[in-house]
Amino acid sequence: MASLRISQVGVRGVVGRGGITASHALDFGAAFATFLATDGPVVIARDPRASGLMLREGLVAALLAAGRDVIDLGIASTPVIQHTIRQRQAAGGVSISASHNAAEWNALKFFGPLGTYLTTAEADELLDIYHLRRFYAAPWNKLGRVEMDSSAIDRYLDELSEVFHFDRLRQFRVVVDCSNGTSSRILRRLNERFGFSLILINATMDGRFAHEPSTSARVVGLQLAPLVQPLSADAGFLFDADSDRVAFATELGEPASEELILPMLADYLLPRSEGKIVLTNISTTSLNEEVAGWHGGKVVRVPVGRNAAIDALNAHRPEQIALAGEGTGAVMMPQFRFVYDGIATMLTLLEKCAAQQQPLSQLVAAMPGYSMLKGEVPLSRHKIPQLLELLATSFGEVSINRQDGLRVDLPSGRWGQNAWFHVRVSQTEPFVRVIAEARGTAPRDLFDEVMETTRAHA
Amino acid sequence: MSKREHLLKIGVSGIRGVVGEFLTPALACAFAQAFGTYTGRGRVILGRDTRSSGPMLEHAVTCGLLSAGCDVVQVGVLPTPTIQMYVAATGALGGIALTASHNPPEYNALKLFNEQGQFFNHYERGELIDLFHQGEFTDAGNFGLGSISQEYSTPARMHFDRVLKCVNRDRIRQRNFHAAIDAVNGAGSILTPHFLEQELGCRLEAISVDPTQPFPREAEPTPQSLGDLKELMKRTGAEIGFAQDPDGDRLAVAKPDGTLLDNDEVLALVVDAVLSRMPGNVVVNLTSSSVIDEVAAWHGCKVFRSAVGEANVVERMLAHKAVIGGEGSNGGIIFPTVHYCRDSYTGMAFLLDRMAETGLGITELAARLPKFYRVSTKVPFQHGRLAGIIQATEARFPDAKADRTDGLKLIWPDGAWLHVRGSNTEPLMRLSVESRDAERTQVLMKAGTDILGS
Repeated sequence: MASLRISQVGVRGVVGRGGITASHALDFGAAFATFLATDGPVVIARDPRASGLMLREGLVAALLAAGRDVIDLGIASTPVIQHTIRQRQAAGGVSISASHNAAEWNALKFFGPLGTYLTTAEADELLDIYHLRRFYAAPWNKLGRVEMDSSAIDRYLDELSEVFHFDRLRQFRVVVDCSNGTSSRILRRLNERFGFSLILINATMDGRFAHEPSTSARVVGLQLAPLVQPLSADAGFLFDADSDRVAFATELGEPASEELILPMLADYLLPRSEGKIVLTNISTTSLNEEVAGWHGGKVVRVPVGRNAAIDALNAHRPEQIALAGEGTGAVMMPQFRFVYDGIATMLTLLEKCAAQQQPLSQLVAAMPGYSMLKGEVPLSRHKIPQLLELLATSFGEVSINRQDGLRVDLPSGRWGQNAWFHVRVSQTEPFVRVIAEARGTAPRDLFDEVMETTRAHA
Repeated sequence: MSKREHLLKIGVSGIRGVVGEFLTPALACAFAQAFGTYTGRGRVILGRDTRSSGPMLEHAVTCGLLSAGCDVVQVGVLPTPTIQMYVAATGALGGIALTASHNPPEYNALKLFNEQGQFFNHYERGELIDLFHQGEFTDAGNFGLGSISQEYSTPARMHFDRVLKCVNRDRIRQRNFHAAIDAVNGAGSILTPHFLEQELGCRLEAISVDPTQPFPREAEPTPQSLGDLKELMKRTGAEIGFAQDPDGDRLAVAKPDGTLLDNDEVLALVVDAVLSRMPGNVVVNLTSSSVIDEVAAWHGCKVFRSAVGEANVVERMLAHKAVIGGEGSNGGIIFPTVHYCRDSYTGMAFLLDRMAETGLGITELAARLPKFYRVSTKVPFQHGRLAGIIQATEARFPDAKADRTDGLKLIWPDGAWLHVRGSNTEPLMRLSVESRDAERTQVLMKAGTDILGS
């Protein structure tokens, strides 16, 4: 089945025919070089997927042909690219990584001169240039050059060491499942240079993945969680391939829901931050609102997707924001200039443990229980408006959010407390996604009813 | 005529064009992917000359080859003949040299080699071009993609060993020749000084041997482009001077007074040297001088002629089991014992060996060759004009015998000839004329240029 998806997120697919190929690397590289507004080099890096080399070669050729110098970080995480863009005053960056997807996938993601994801308008312009195919070509004697930069990871760690109190954090005994991704290289250096004692598993980087590199409680339960207690560890953390997302298990070896990470960090950061806004998308748990309420904070919800998050960040003053994140374990913090960074997220969670002098299991237990149900239904596009209209009107007096599909928040009562559901079309797969959540027990009846209505429109 | 015309050419020598708007990385990648689809999964050797667009195209071609499932062996900056030999010697499925050879620096090209390290023959080429146009390339999935490895030192050693086995190295070294080299800052910049000094014991005067710098002269080694070498020869009193093109397949030779030997004379001297050791058939292109025929006749050997272009000469050489061949018109010497490719290193070694053997200087050796008067010129190519020119030329000279193998070659009973053809690599028409008499050559040239100009 053809897997290629070209969207505001970039280009993504299974490598090979019908998916992402050499020509995408060349054409998107040329389009991105044409798109860039400022002079300067382009920073690139890749995760350890076998196809990374092929895509890098094509991308580098296209950037050089457009007269751009390339700073190649080799195998490095997406956050390291974003930090390097700022440090080296680059014009932009490209990450070659399908982050949480399986080994046979790959993707190109693009960053602007501030090291952030492109805004929606910028992403649209890049796509227009890609489709128009009138790429800028430098004259033959003005082509770019490639520089290998092997110290970017060290500079990134230096920056982390200025924000965190490493001397308080290195006491923790932590098992890390690197998912055979870029975190392996970074965390190894953290051990070597700063005396951390992280125990790394699935740390080889030969392009083979021991498991899908997805930051979910389910994957944490596969290999990581069972190791935590036998190793007497304080925590287990798991990263996706490009280390922008994280998931964890407590010291008791219990996988935590990935949805918990943002509210747990909000609980820690809101009292310590000038900003009172928690920025998230409309698919994440309502626990965020409850936690924000404890600290006089406020949740701002935007459509799903990274461009939308960047748009919303740009629409606020930086000091208004406490943190921003997804329900996937991807969190951005102002002290890291709003880069989704799994490793910074892990360190912040450990800092919370240190500050509150509580083990992770107690921090998790302190969070009110919410239960979420998720489903997906194959898509029939022409019936979607009709479906959303029907769902918006079938539940009486409700609060409606139509920013991205339909989110309906229901009054407490028949469906439970703080119950809501969200129906939207996936950006990356041909599905309608259905999510329902309530405080306490799962809203099974609500979920079943929404799923049934959705299936009837498939 | 629009200036955009023909700045890209896909044909006899692979794909060639001006880098920038015309020869794009996307095109190079797609062509490499077609090539890799054609060769199938296995090792492909990739090297380049020193052009500024070389690294960019190296990335693009590597991308295409990996996609086709080929394992890419990058050999870096090397002369084209070295790359060709390395392909054949290592059992690779093929090779690509990123070089536009003697073309100006804004050009670059993909020269494609089969598993024997030879240019694709006519039929292979057609199949590859069809594949390229059909666009049905292998797009390997994650686990079928090829790998990249580097091999920078062994290919040159192998090349030199092959050449040195064919000459009497000791007697060359004993002479301690005072030689000069102009490597045009090309692929021979490092290797050629090593070859002449370390391997052949020359006292060397070297210019333009910095591979990081642009070409300091026109890439094609001609009397007009080699003023610096001439100056160097006169200043240092070197006995012989050599000049290479950027990818080290072509050779020009200078005498102590700094003037150049005609390329046909260089080829004739090497043909003489080879046939004196191993008599056999000779193949040269249609535009090569009749001096080759005379030298071959000294040894009772036959000369066969092919269309212009290394690939065409090699095809005929294989068919006739030739012991030596080449293109006098452009300084290419092909000696199959070393490899079926144009190789300037073979030429240098044989000339020095001949000088050591005979005790004669290069001027004296050249003076022993029969004298022919040969001139050539080039005019911009215009679509559709060549056929009319060929008709008009043939009609103008009904007394000559016509050979239509490559454009039109007219041959008179006294041995004089006139050859008009379209260039394989540039948007040019080339006209060459030769006879034993300077005045007759001028008259024929005037008649030819009148037709071209009309």
